[in-house]
Amino acid sequence: MKTPICSRPLADAYSRREFLYGLGSSMGSVAFSSLLADEIAANPMAPKKPMTPAKAKNVIMLFMEGGPGHMDTFDPKPKLTQLHKTESKNDRGLAAGNYQFYVGSPFKFKKAGQSGMDMCDQWKYMSDPEVADELCNYRGCQAESLNHPEALFHMNTGSRLGADPSLGAWATYGLGSENQNLPGYVVMTEMALPQGGSKNWSNGFLPAHFQGTALRPKGSPILDLESQSFKSRAHQRASLDQLAFLNDQHAKRHPEHADLTARMESYELAYRMQMEVPEVVDLGDEPEYIREMYGMDNKVTHDFGRQCLMARRLVEKGTRFVQIFAGGWDSHDYLERGHSSRISAVDKPWAALIKDLKQRGMLDDTLVIWNGEFGRTPDNNMRGGVYAIGRGHNADAMTIMMAGGGIKKGAIVGATDEIGAKAVDIAHPIRDFHVTLLHLLGLDDNKLTYFHAGRYKQLSQFGGTVIKELIS
Amino acid sequence: MKSLITFILLCHFTWAATPEEHATLKALPIISSKCIACHGEDPNDIDGELNLLSRKGFLKGGEFIKDLLIPGNPGESFLMTVIKWEDPDFEMPPKENDRLTQEQILDIETWIKNGAPWPSQAAQKKILASEKNKRITKEGLIIKTSGGLTDDWTFRRYNPETVWAFLPIKKPTPPIEGINPIDAFVRAKIKATQFEPAPRADLRTLIRRVSYDLIGLPPSPDEVAEFIASAQEDFDSAYSTLIERLLASTQHGERWAQHWLDVARYADTGGLSNDYERSNAWRYRDYVIRALNEDKPYNDFIMEQIAGDELADKSLRERVGNNDNYKKLQRKGQYSSKEAEQMIASSFLRMGPWDPAMVKAPEARQQYIDDVVNAVGQTFLSTTMRCFKCHDHKFDPLPTKDYYRIYSIFAGTQLAERHVSWQKYDNKIGFEEEKAQVELLHNFADSEARRLQQKVEEYAHTWYTTHQLPYKNLKDRKNDPVDQKPPRHGGLSEAEKGQLKVREQDEWIWNRRTERFLPMVQSVYNGPDPKFLNARKLRMPTKIDSSWRPASHILTGGALEAPGEKITPGVLSALGLPVEGSSQDDPFATPKDLGGRRLALAKWISHPQNSLTARSIVNRIWQYHFDKPIAGNPNNFGVKGALPTHPELIDWIAADFVENGWSIKRLHRLILTSKTYQQSGRHPKQYELAQEDPKNDLFAFFPNRRLTAEELRDSMLHITGELNTAAGGLPIRPEMNMEVALQPRMIQFSIAPTYLPNKSRNQRNRRSIYVYRIRGLADPFLETFNQPNPNDSCEGRDSASVSPQAFTLMNSDLLTDRSIALALRLATESKTLAEQIQRAFQLVFNRNASQSEVAKIEPYIREMRDYHAKHTPKPREYPTEITRSLVEEFSGQAFEYEEILPVFNDYERDEQASGVSPRIRALADLCLILFNSHEFVYSY
Repeated sequence: MKTPICSRPLADAYSRREFLYGLGSSMGSVAFSSLLADEIAANPMAPKKPMTPAKAKNVIMLFMEGGPGHMDTFDPKPKLTQLHKTESKNDRGLAAGNYQFYVGSPFKFKKAGQSGMDMCDQWKYMSDPEVADELCNYRGCQAESLNHPEALFHMNTGSRLGADPSLGAWATYGLGSENQNLPGYVVMTEMALPQGGSKNWSNGFLPAHFQGTALRPKGSPILDLESQSFKSRAHQRASLDQLAFLNDQHAKRHPEHADLTARMESYELAYRMQMEVPEVVDLGDEPEYIREMYGMDNKVTHDFGRQCLMARRLVEKGTRFVQIFAGGWDSHDYLERGHSSRISAVDKPWAALIKDLKQRGMLDDTLVIWNGEFGRTPDNNMRGGVYAIGRGHNADAMTIMMAGGGIKKGAIVGATDEIGAKAVDIAHPIRDFHVTLLHLLGLDDNKLTYFHAGRYKQLSQFGGTVIKELIS
Repeated sequence: MKSLITFILLCHFTWAATPEEHATLKALPIISSKCIACHGEDPNDIDGELNLLSRKGFLKGGEFIKDLLIPGNPGESFLMTVIKWEDPDFEMPPKENDRLTQEQILDIETWIKNGAPWPSQAAQKKILASEKNKRITKEGLIIKTSGGLTDDWTFRRYNPETVWAFLPIKKPTPPIEGINPIDAFVRAKIKATQFEPAPRADLRTLIRRVSYDLIGLPPSPDEVAEFIASAQEDFDSAYSTLIERLLASTQHGERWAQHWLDVARYADTGGLSNDYERSNAWRYRDYVIRALNEDKPYNDFIMEQIAGDELADKSLRERVGNNDNYKKLQRKGQYSSKEAEQMIASSFLRMGPWDPAMVKAPEARQQYIDDVVNAVGQTFLSTTMRCFKCHDHKFDPLPTKDYYRIYSIFAGTQLAERHVSWQKYDNKIGFEEEKAQVELLHNFADSEARRLQQKVEEYAHTWYTTHQLPYKNLKDRKNDPVDQKPPRHGGLSEAEKGQLKVREQDEWIWNRRTERFLPMVQSVYNGPDPKFLNARKLRMPTKIDSSWRPASHILTGGALEAPGEKITPGVLSALGLPVEGSSQDDPFATPKDLGGRRLALAKWISHPQNSLTARSIVNRIWQYHFDKPIAGNPNNFGVKGALPTHPELIDWIAADFVENGWSIKRLHRLILTSKTYQQSGRHPKQYELAQEDPKNDLFAFFPNRRLTAEELRDSMLHITGELNTAAGGLPIRPEMNMEVALQPRMIQFSIAPTYLPNKSRNQRNRRSIYVYRIRGLADPFLETFNQPNPNDSCEGRDSASVSPQAFTLMNSDLLTDRSIALALRLATESKTLAEQIQRAFQLVFNRNASQSEVAKIEPYIREMRDYHAKHTPKPREYPTEITRSLVEEFSGQAFEYEEILPVFNDYERDEQASGVSPRIRALADLCLILFNSHEFVYSY
């Protein structure tokens, strides 16, 4: 019997073993195909009741990798426009650069919807009142690291080290998944993985069941999902039955070995996923107007639109946590071009996602988040003697947009200072943001713990506070 | 566990203190540590208007709470409900980690029963003072340390059972005479239950178990037959011959080094933003393999890894005397073979992920030192050091002062690639081929960059002409005012601007990779903090100011900005083990000179009387044999780590290990020849045992385990006959899932060069320990089977069964190729289908197929022959170039560029499905199933 040193709660191991031994050696002769995942007492992905009344059941997190400039998207800073190209003495603490100057946003700002949500004029679809009034703009979140991978790790796992479980892993650990034929935690990336790679959706010290499954944008959505092209599904079924026969014989010889059933079940789940995943990925059955609504008819919005639509389909089918990474926000220069091209790639799909969820009555319990790993600085350095109109990394301020899932509608919460250098009102570290997300899912960070390396560990590391101002 | 409960209960029933003493020593400290942070400490911020600084406060209650405390009546006191977490709305303290223990709840209950006394400050002081003078009381043990931040901490008491690891080892006498002492301890514990130990495993199971255990590969059918035949005649002699053969095999070190590298966090790159290659990190990997094969005494193994550079330089200086000559030889890396070995070993100090990009230099230094302190503590002392970085340890006798004393030992340790000439034992195989490829890729990047740079210069010429200014090249015009030089990257399209950046990045990536052919090691030196840090190039300066001393303070709360009390370098005080040559007034101090600090630490750690060191390693070795340690957390022996199931056994082995020259191979023999190790995995009373001892803490049967990722891959190659057992040298690059290999991977400013497998099949099919370990790009097969993340020390591998494992074992190219290779072997070695099935079972399972198995499999293969006759596989394609698309981070626009993959021009392929007959493919279907089966995947 494998007893992982650091990663299985005692009670779980015990009850599971007890369950299997309770069936005695007849276990091996139960036809494996009748053993659906949720019939196994110890199925770690079985849906679980939240600890406290939950406002949200699912999360879709749109991760803008690179760090969008808050003052160029949702947090207008007219003062910066006045200061444009004047000298900045702001000590960002990095290697002594050359001349530093303020950078005004290249974009004009407007107020959208009844709530008067601030947005730069590049947001053509998000500014639709029907969408804008669903949004909550949180301006108080603060990161710690100025470096992409560490900041990504921090936002995704609560720790900068890149070795701890991710948000999605904690959420599925706490709540399981509603669909046993699909992964409970799905991640979609661009062709290039974000910095730090798969550690951003790792299960860390939680059991491997809780790691994010990356749906790849091209080729096979899951590695080796399909059998080799010269093997048909019937071929595969015949081979699986043959394997089941061998394994069944083996399990009879090893009644002491409780993990065998779970292992055979992982093959059956894999077999079912081979059916279900391509169905989720194949958007052919979506009506034309929906595909168009998500921007799939346009080269600029196609990729992100397709992923947003897949996210909706996944959540509809019971996936708990979906994350989409969209890169290219790291505008150290050419800010106007950079950000406007990024905005036009995500604007329409994101707005469509919110509208679509709403029209299906799913927005109330689906939390949609749009965030980066940090914000950007109000100033920049000269580059090669030229005023580079761009911004550096800023851990002290950022902007997070949220909608649905129990979030206050049409609200702007917290504030940055007049140049956007630092969060000054309702400022909270990332851990409080995480604790708030768990809270919305009906999970208490202080109780959602896992005993590892001699300590009960939690997402926030050492506990945090719910940001009440964000909750409706 | 039972004895622990008895101990606690005993305390309570025999507690004979006065109510005032009980309040002062037990109840009030609980209140002060658990309640007042939110209820009283900050008079302006009192939660629930409940002030618990005084008895009056308790009696008054708060905003929502009445009857919090009814003196003399715990049943009516709401306080009891709250601390027991019986009311979901009032659970205090609110965090799982802070929750009161059963013992603490009982103390509060006793306190209320006693009438909730609250002695005056003076009375408390008196009681406390008298208490401090008693080392051991029923309340536990005071452990003398260099002192905590508060007296409460310094004089707190520990249950001796939970601080077992910090107390000296007294070698116990085995409880049963005349048998292997391991069996004596294990059986004595089993004897106290209603159970018997499991009988010996059958011979086939045993040779498979020992083979996987010692070399990570299964035995061949011949080896099994030979062993069974001789063991039936004389088990002891056959078994001991088997063990000696395996221990003497070079494959042994390759298997066991993986365990060590898991703990040390070995990788060939540095991780984070740039994920730079750590040239020649492999010399350390090979050092570990050699050390284990040569049975290097563990105390030497420790010394070399913590202070190898100091040892080597000291030896060199003693050898050559003359200072100038010494410095010259040192810079050139002209070390003796032994010194070189020590230098290589010091790479241990370079194993953590680290990259100072975008980090302030002092912070980057702190990150490194914190990391290395924790690594040394976890690896050698089974002590998680980061737990007392910000405050005195919550549970263990480890004051934060001691953390910073050890921190100070490393405060002058600087990172560097240092020259160490090639040694006889360094395998330089493949250098020429690899060098040629690096040059090819470098030249391609270089010519592409030049082409674009030329375009910029052509534009510049035109610009200068139209502005009637004399032409200046890129370098000369760098500092000219903006209006007097052409715009940056003028003449290039947006796409070309992006391309230029990628090519320039590639240029130096490949240029840097030529360093892997230089005789360097990833090492350290002692010196002042460098002004600039860059993980791209870390070299030892020619001039080192040896009078420099690092500032050493306690960093309050772990913050650089908050230096507290000044401290000097030293070791952990709780063990009571002095540093060799230290003075009486500070026995735990190491020398204050810049050099020699680590040497003193290494000597202290490898001292025979260090109570943590020997326990730590013998626990790990036990764990790797049984897949279950004696003390549950091999990286954490502290109070919160799982207690040893056999405290006397671990102590006996530790003492015996040290007495016998720290020999790891000797310990292997001791364990392997024990009856405990040879037990069957099945216990006659399995069901009852599972009820009584669900975690097998009795070791009454042998625990099975899933093979590790490396064992799975290596075993398949071994079974198919493809495994190349060459040892050491440059990391190898097997074929990895092509989608992942070709997938772009972001690094700072660009995309990392594509993963290219080795051209030669023989080179690809080497053991997994030699696989190039890129922190930012895990091999999907190995990762799926729980190869650990090298950013964190792994004390024990996970093996949960998840669906991606099924996908990879059923569908991947890797498995398909292995099954074809095995089918080809079967077809060569056996004629009839029945014989081929038997041979397959022999090779994969080391047994014959049963009649029922043959009866089921034969028709299946015949059916598959028909199937494959109608389905023809297409050959797999290997692209020789690839178009990359990248969003330019400055402009936010996508651009494309071509990357060449020269290795696929004349790639030596594995035998593939498309190249073999339908009959072979049908046989391969069986092979694939065997590789997927429980029987192959688990070791029993």
